[in-house]
Amino acid sequence: MNWNRIVIAPVFPFWVILFLLSLGLALTVVQYWMIQKRIGRPKAIQISLLRLITLSLLVSFSVNPSLIVKKEEKIVPALAILVDRSQSMSLSGQGEKKTRLDDAKALLLDGEKPLLKALKESFEVKLYTMGESLQAIGESELPGLKAVGKRADLNRALEKLGSTNSLLLLLSDGNVDWNGSDRKAPPLIAVPMGDPRSYKDISIKEIKAPPIAFRGRPVQIEVVIKCHGYSGITVPVILRNGAKILTAKSFSIRRSPEEGVTSFSLTPEEVGSFPLSVSIPPQFGESLTANNDANIALKVYRDKIRILMVSGSPSLNYRYMRSAFKNDPTIDLLSFVILRTPANIINVPLQEQSLIPFPVETLFTNELKNFDLVIFDDFFYRPYLNLNHLEHVKEFVRGGGSFAVIGGPNFFGQGGYEGTPLEEILPARLSGKEDYRRDLPSGVKLSRLGMIHPITRFSSEGNNHQGLWQEMPPLDGINLLEAKNSGRVLLESTDGIPRPILVVGNYGKGRVSILGTDFSWKWYMGMLAQGKGNWAYLRFMERMVRWLTRDPSLDPVQITLPAKPGEVGQEMGVQVRVKEEGSSSASKRIASFSVFNPEGTKVVSQLRTTAQEGEFLGSFLPEKGGVYKVRVETLEGRLEESVVVAEAVEGLDGVPNHEHLKKIAEATGGKVLSSGKEVLREAESYGEKIKEHFVEEKRLPLWSAPYLLVLIPALLGMEWYLRRKGGMV
Amino acid sequence: MEFRGEGNNGLSKVAVRNNPQEKSNISRRRFISLSLGLAAGVLFPSFKSPLSASGNQVAPTFPQFFFTQIKYQGGQWDPNPQLLDSLMEELELRTSIRGMKERRLITLSDPDLFFCPLLYMAGKDEFDPFTPKEREILGRFLTYGGFLLADDTMGAKGFGFDKSFRREMNQIFPGQELKRLPSDHSVYRSFYLIETLGGRQKVNPYLEGITLDQWTPVIYSQNDLSGAWARDRFGKWIHPCVPGGEPQRASAFKAGINIIVYSLASDYKKDLVHHPFIKRRLNL
Repeated sequence: MNWNRIVIAPVFPFWVILFLLSLGLALTVVQYWMIQKRIGRPKAIQISLLRLITLSLLVSFSVNPSLIVKKEEKIVPALAILVDRSQSMSLSGQGEKKTRLDDAKALLLDGEKPLLKALKESFEVKLYTMGESLQAIGESELPGLKAVGKRADLNRALEKLGSTNSLLLLLSDGNVDWNGSDRKAPPLIAVPMGDPRSYKDISIKEIKAPPIAFRGRPVQIEVVIKCHGYSGITVPVILRNGAKILTAKSFSIRRSPEEGVTSFSLTPEEVGSFPLSVSIPPQFGESLTANNDANIALKVYRDKIRILMVSGSPSLNYRYMRSAFKNDPTIDLLSFVILRTPANIINVPLQEQSLIPFPVETLFTNELKNFDLVIFDDFFYRPYLNLNHLEHVKEFVRGGGSFAVIGGPNFFGQGGYEGTPLEEILPARLSGKEDYRRDLPSGVKLSRLGMIHPITRFSSEGNNHQGLWQEMPPLDGINLLEAKNSGRVLLESTDGIPRPILVVGNYGKGRVSILGTDFSWKWYMGMLAQGKGNWAYLRFMERMVRWLTRDPSLDPVQITLPAKPGEVGQEMGVQVRVKEEGSSSASKRIASFSVFNPEGTKVVSQLRTTAQEGEFLGSFLPEKGGVYKVRVETLEGRLEESVVVAEAVEGLDGVPNHEHLKKIAEATGGKVLSSGKEVLREAESYGEKIKEHFVEEKRLPLWSAPYLLVLIPALLGMEWYLRRKGGMV
Repeated sequence: MEFRGEGNNGLSKVAVRNNPQEKSNISRRRFISLSLGLAAGVLFPSFKSPLSASGNQVAPTFPQFFFTQIKYQGGQWDPNPQLLDSLMEELELRTSIRGMKERRLITLSDPDLFFCPLLYMAGKDEFDPFTPKEREILGRFLTYGGFLLADDTMGAKGFGFDKSFRREMNQIFPGQELKRLPSDHSVYRSFYLIETLGGRQKVNPYLEGITLDQWTPVIYSQNDLSGAWARDRFGKWIHPCVPGGEPQRASAFKAGINIIVYSLASDYKKDLVHHPFIKRRLNL
């Protein structure tokens, strides 16, 4: 149906037009009276009439009339069919054997008159799949479609399709992201897939644990468990560290559906990054078992560095080391000083002595594991410890503990450590029978490795580390050491043949060091005498302790993990930062970057430089869920971190969420329908409604036609002709 | 023979041992040492005798402690020159510390002062004020971990050495006074459990000191400790101890040992692990 109307849009204000019109009429009347006497009334009327018509046309131009033409068009409405192809659509549908996606395909393609074909008669139909992205597909691709995508984002789909479609049809189990925003979306008809009543699942929805914990302090791990079905049964919830079971709890399911929390209290005894997993054994008939496990990486730090120091006798070495350790709030020191040897004679009864027994059995058997570092300070073991105790020290170091020897005349006891377990773990041996020298004071210098090693590289004046050590006062006594192949010499004597003074090394998982002098305290007082303060000694002691105990603050390389767990199939990035200290360049300090999957197999990874000096970006593509190990090897050792990759993001909760679909449909003015016939009927009914309201409107400006512009000079020309004919020109 | 009557007192034995007229007692000490060594050998049967490891070979060769006495201007800086022999013998006999028999002498302007484990300053009379440089050096040494034992051999409060020493300490540590050390101070517990302070005389039954944070870098006695330690080259005590006699001398030796141990081990005895033992022995 067409219908027209005229509208005006005056060029000038209306009163101006009226004024000009009145003025024109008055002038025409005056003209008529003036010319009728000369050319007679009939001709005067003709000329005045022509002038009046011209005037009317000019006024008409100024009011700018337009013709509005409305026309109803019959256009086929667009319908977008959205098929959810996320992973949960691979779970069982209405029947036991078919998946939810199979049901969706059958709804569109099967039957006497397939729904897709029927809709095409009334709509311009386009097919889309929703997974990790929205994708247009042809009808021929529909039968081969597989449910492998990630949880779909409906908001993005509505934003993209809402403006170009009149109606949307969504085939989904309801596991889609939709934030309920009030967007202008066309009506959406939702067809729910899957059967919530037959769905049975026990899933670990979430693990709530702090990202970091402290050794020796309990940490709470809360596990949120979601259940569908299985009411009345009790299931075990198992907490593991790697493959080792740490603890287990029982969780009783009272009703269905149910969401409950069970918590574990864990006291980490070791420092490091631990891949923890929580699992519930799969139950009979469970629809989805992939969500029965969940992983977290717990990073355990030490709250304090615990040191056990045994000194052979009271000495300045002991006093200044004690002072350095006691003034460091991150260190807990337990020290024993041998005040009296078996050779000494005591002259007073016990009540007048402050001496206490040396609890060797307790310390060197049960309690050793509670320390991070054991220091023997000029301590010869024989009167106090036996070989079993030394064996325990060796095992302590092999297992990750640290052991340091501060030398002196007593420590080696003229070969007393030969053949003992300590000889095996120490990074140096005595060079001969003469094991200690105090005849000639000796200065120290940094070895090549000492120039870059974190223990000895700490000068406050740029990179002048060698200069700092050469300023240190000479040592009055040194042990004559010979570094083993496994030992790394950091400090050497400067007199005569260079003798190793500080040797460090690794044994098993632990670190060891020998400082072959009992005069290191002179580095404290000697620098003080020079007016340079005591900071060099304090920093040296602090760094030695931190290096030995693998304190992260001393790691030249730092790995920063992403805040959120990774996802399967999505590239994961980790930031690697190298602290630039000393002369070695940052790039040379990373020997290798590698990533290992949960089975321990190396996966493809790459390390790229960034614009920031000393910063690198490592990346890898996880193909399965679990805890991955990221390993960075440097000249100083190896650094490892654990990264969690969530098992199957979509599969964590596979229960059909039909209520969610209902909310979506209602928000858009659509409906939830379960059969093809209902869908077709509703779609056609809606299609009919939108056809009646579709109108095309055209606006035609009347004075835009050129012939109307020609009319005005034509009328003026005619007037001029009549005047001439009347003898007025 | 003067001390024989003291019976079981260990210090008496030291004195007697050093008397050339009582050489048989030297072998007695060796006998006791050997017995203990053998006893330890029984406890650790598979190892060398501890006597051979630490007593005979290494320890005498490399002393780790030496006594450094300050020479200052004016007054009498060395009232008891023979103070050290008996103290060092006692130190070696009773403790694991190996001390040098010879004392070292030093002036306050000597840079080697910073390498002395224990500075000793004794005197009887008033002495000249320290120079500003000497005060600065001594102040820096003591503030950052050094240790000074001062010994007033006259023992007159407010006179002589006492007057000068307090003046210098006031100059070096303005606002810090020499105060009586509390009975639970580490110096009373570093080796022996001391309840009263001996010396040649008994002016104060306690020690005074200046404490900075947890460390007491200055310890001061007015009981003439060195007078009680001093022994002539024949092994006789130079001064009698009054009024307490030999127990008072024994107490002075215990104080000397404790002060030396404190200078090397600091407040080690304040560590928690020692508390239950010390409390039990003191019936606290």
